Amino acid sequence: MPRQPFPPIERRRLLGRISAFALAGCLGAGAARAADAFDLAALMKLLASVRTGEATFVERREVAVLDRTVMSSGRLSFEAPDTFVRETLKPQRDRMAVTGNTLTLSRGDRTRTMQLDAAPEAAVIVEAIRGTLTGNGGALERAFATTVSGSAERWSLDLVPRDARLRGQVVSVRVSGEQAVVREVVVLLADGDRSVMTIEPLPARAAGARTDPAQPAPRAASGTP
Amino acid sequence: MSSTPASGHPPPRQRSKRALWVWLAFVAVAAAITARSHYVADLSAFLPSAPTAEQAVLLDQVQSGVAARLLLIGIDGGDPAARADASRSLAAAMRASGRFEAVHNGDTAEFQTSGQFLFEHRYLLSPAVDAARFTADGLRAAIDETVALLGTPAGALIKPILLRDPTGETVRMAEAMLPSHAPRSEDGVWVSRSAPRAVLVATTRAAGADLDAQEQALDTIRRAFAPQQANGLRLALSGAPVFGVASRAQIKAEVERLAIAGSVVIVALLLVAFGSLRALGTAVLPVATGVLAGIAAVSLGFGQVHGVTLGFGTTLIGEAVDYAIYYLIQARAGRARRDAMKRDETDAAAAAVPNRAADAVARHGRDDLAAEASRQDGADHWLATSWPTVRLGLLTSLCGFAALVFSGFPGLAQLGVFSIAGLVAAAFGTRYVFPILSPDGAPGIGLRRRLGRFAGAGAALLPRARMPLLVVSIGAVVALWLLPSPWRGDLASLSPVGAAQLKLDAELRADVGASDAGTLVALSAPDEATALAVAERAGARLDALVQAGAIDGYESPARLLPSPATQAARRAVLPDAPTLEARLATATAQGPLAASRLGGFVSDVERARSQPIVDRAALAATPLRQALDALLVPGAGARPWRVFINLQAGAKPIDAAQVRSALVDVPGARVVHIKAELDALYARYLHEAMWQATAGAFAVCLLLALHLRSARRLLQVAEPIAASVVIVLAALAASGAALGILHLVGLLLVVAIGSNYALFFDHLRMTGGADVDTLASLALANLTTVCSFGLLALSSIPALYAIGEVVAPGALLCLVLSAAFIRAGQPPRPHGKMPRPAPAP
Repeated sequence: MPRQPFPPIERRRLLGRISAFALAGCLGAGAARAADAFDLAALMKLLASVRTGEATFVERREVAVLDRTVMSSGRLSFEAPDTFVRETLKPQRDRMAVTGNTLTLSRGDRTRTMQLDAAPEAAVIVEAIRGTLTGNGGALERAFATTVSGSAERWSLDLVPRDARLRGQVVSVRVSGEQAVVREVVVLLADGDRSVMTIEPLPARAAGARTDPAQPAPRAASGTP
Repeated sequence: MSSTPASGHPPPRQRSKRALWVWLAFVAVAAAITARSHYVADLSAFLPSAPTAEQAVLLDQVQSGVAARLLLIGIDGGDPAARADASRSLAAAMRASGRFEAVHNGDTAEFQTSGQFLFEHRYLLSPAVDAARFTADGLRAAIDETVALLGTPAGALIKPILLRDPTGETVRMAEAMLPSHAPRSEDGVWVSRSAPRAVLVATTRAAGADLDAQEQALDTIRRAFAPQQANGLRLALSGAPVFGVASRAQIKAEVERLAIAGSVVIVALLLVAFGSLRALGTAVLPVATGVLAGIAAVSLGFGQVHGVTLGFGTTLIGEAVDYAIYYLIQARAGRARRDAMKRDETDAAAAAVPNRAADAVARHGRDDLAAEASRQDGADHWLATSWPTVRLGLLTSLCGFAALVFSGFPGLAQLGVFSIAGLVAAAFGTRYVFPILSPDGAPGIGLRRRLGRFAGAGAALLPRARMPLLVVSIGAVVALWLLPSPWRGDLASLSPVGAAQLKLDAELRADVGASDAGTLVALSAPDEATALAVAERAGARLDALVQAGAIDGYESPARLLPSPATQAARRAVLPDAPTLEARLATATAQGPLAASRLGGFVSDVERARSQPIVDRAALAATPLRQALDALLVPGAGARPWRVFINLQAGAKPIDAAQVRSALVDVPGARVVHIKAELDALYARYLHEAMWQATAGAFAVCLLLALHLRSARRLLQVAEPIAASVVIVLAALAASGAALGILHLVGLLLVVAIGSNYALFFDHLRMTGGADVDTLASLALANLTTVCSFGLLALSSIPALYAIGEVVAPGALLCLVLSAAFIRAGQPPRPHGKMPRPAPAP
């Protein structure tokens, strides 16, 4: 007697299982797509969860008029809501600290304090970096046209200044990172010069950074030494 | 020989007309001086004359320095783009008009000329040029620093000049000159941080004191802005020129209004009181004499007459007319009394005729006397009985005003001189001219009868209210004891600028970062080079304070223009071309910038080695000169050059003592905290004014004591005056008003004017009866005084309404309290001393 491939009951069960899998697959895919709709608000929420942090950076500048690329390195730190400090250690020491609207520049024994909004050209880059690090979506939206791409695992944020005059100097600032950590800042200037800053976050304990005990401990980026 | 005419009335006495001619001549001279007087209406009357050198410098700056020419402009309404466009077009129009030395709106295009000049002289002017800079190591460090700026937006500005200025002198100069408090910049123009407003700053070419030219400059701005109003944009102007022009217009309008209102009110009162145009005409004479004499005296004494003096002078109308009132009413009453007395005597003489022959001689003699007596008219009666009291009242008023003459405020000193001259002229005009012009007083009656009856009723009732009024006075004393001191006024309260305008000014200043009357360091030197050298020394000390955080920054002329010595030192360290090339080769080895590309730099340094020193004259073609002139005032002849270094405060206010100790080894440095200095000056003058007022009140008391010769009478006379002063003071303190020098002046005037009424009541008591005519004249005189000071109280100029709000109620209270406290010995009688009522005239 020939065996029937699938008895009716088995067939129904199989069909049921296949549809269940298909459905689960669809749902799973839908869930994945929902996870892909990663926008500015989500990115800012992610970044804002880290209230303070420190990192080292290496910056390469490609300037047309110079014979070669200029490199500098140093440390960055930020603290919510609006403090950002960048200290260059090599090749020359200098320090730039911004809190609120006040910008303090120190080089050697000279210190100069000025209002950030009085120098819009300087404010552009400072706001781009500070706004991203502190997760201040409002400030970014006010100053730039923002485009977010990628996912929470690897995202990049394109910032184009809204002010036409500033666009004539800074074409765009592209910030990219992983999860709640910023890894790279690329500044493109209107005359073709480029500046690429690669950021390596320091672990909270090692850096001695103060964290808000109410917040969850910052997630260390993958690959941190 | 005397003869009795058939009509029974003696012929009028012939008075010498000499007094009339003298008076006319005096009036003509005064009128001529008045017509040629110079009238001003600026704020100078409210600035104290300065005793110390610091304050003299300060006031000079406030009046004629750059601060007096600074205009703050705001554009409200519309959207940000429209405001930015309006800011640019307005600035362009203002620059084209030629009325402004500088117009800043955040547009950096205007700095082209300055930038070019600075670039060409960078090796003399840059603060970084020294011997170490031009060693190989120094060159390397400088080039690295400059290169570090590239790749940032700041680099975009230095890229064009990089190859000629690789050591970044331009950057260092820009760093030194940028202010630490700059306005917010949006869309290339300055905007406010606190309101949706575009802001601009301009300096007028016209001097601060030239209000006509300032007014034209303001009109230029308004006309240039007019087309923008169609877009819904609004213009806001503030600054010293705006205040000056507005105050002048306000003072002029107020004075005109007060003069017209005062005249109308007084004329109406007089018409009502006398009902006769002739009486009105006569009454106006002492007023006119007094006003002309007052203006002439001020013009001769001060060289110019201030509008506020004229405004105050309208009160003189109310006081001068009092003398006319006293005369016109009381002389008439005296005449009526004489007539009545003479009639009775004639009747009595006719009734008793025993022996015609024997009595003929006696009757002749008695007739002579009677005829003589009846030939004396009302004027004589008045001169004999009332004039001494009026004269004493005049003297007490003069005591009060004399205290003003010594005040440190030119405005108050003018008031004092005006009032003294005016009152003396009015009183003596009344005394000498009226007997000639109207020997029998006022012909008409008007409402005087009713006024007299009312006054009589009042004089009868008021003594009954003595107790309650005394309680009120004591209550006022207690209130003054318990309430905090009301003497809180300051210099700002004297200015006629309104609170809303001041608020706008503060907002615009905060937006623009204009350092407002803060702390400054004043230095002086005999010439330009020394002035800049001293400024450099002070700057070095102030740098230490900036590092320590005591101050945020400072503006010094030495930052714009280094002293010749410094420039020469810099020029001396510049290496020659071969040396520089060799060092450059070392410095740029393995660097990002090849030495072969820096040929322009080498030739620029070579050229700079023989450049002439930059001085103030060399800056004339650039906007830098105007910025320099704000901080460096050239001297002329004996007057030294002055340097003003503005200090900018950080989060905490500047500690002047700390700055002083930091500058202790800089010769001639003075740290001036403007507001504190002005407040201290005002407090000192208030203190002095209190002494002067006390001295004036004491002089009044002394005068009264000498006249009254009785302590008891003196106390009785002083009681109502003291009570009214206390009540007015308590009422003002309770209402929360901040009292200042002018309120003190007002209290002094209350004492001076109120003593007139107290003296009259005392006189009436001594002569045994408050006759209705005197009371009527007192009531009318008081009414005119209260009305004219009351008009002042309605003025919008703080100086005037301060005086008005004290004197108007004070004078009224003095009359009421005098009637209440100084008891009339007998109840008031109708006309004359005879029981029979006098016939109607």
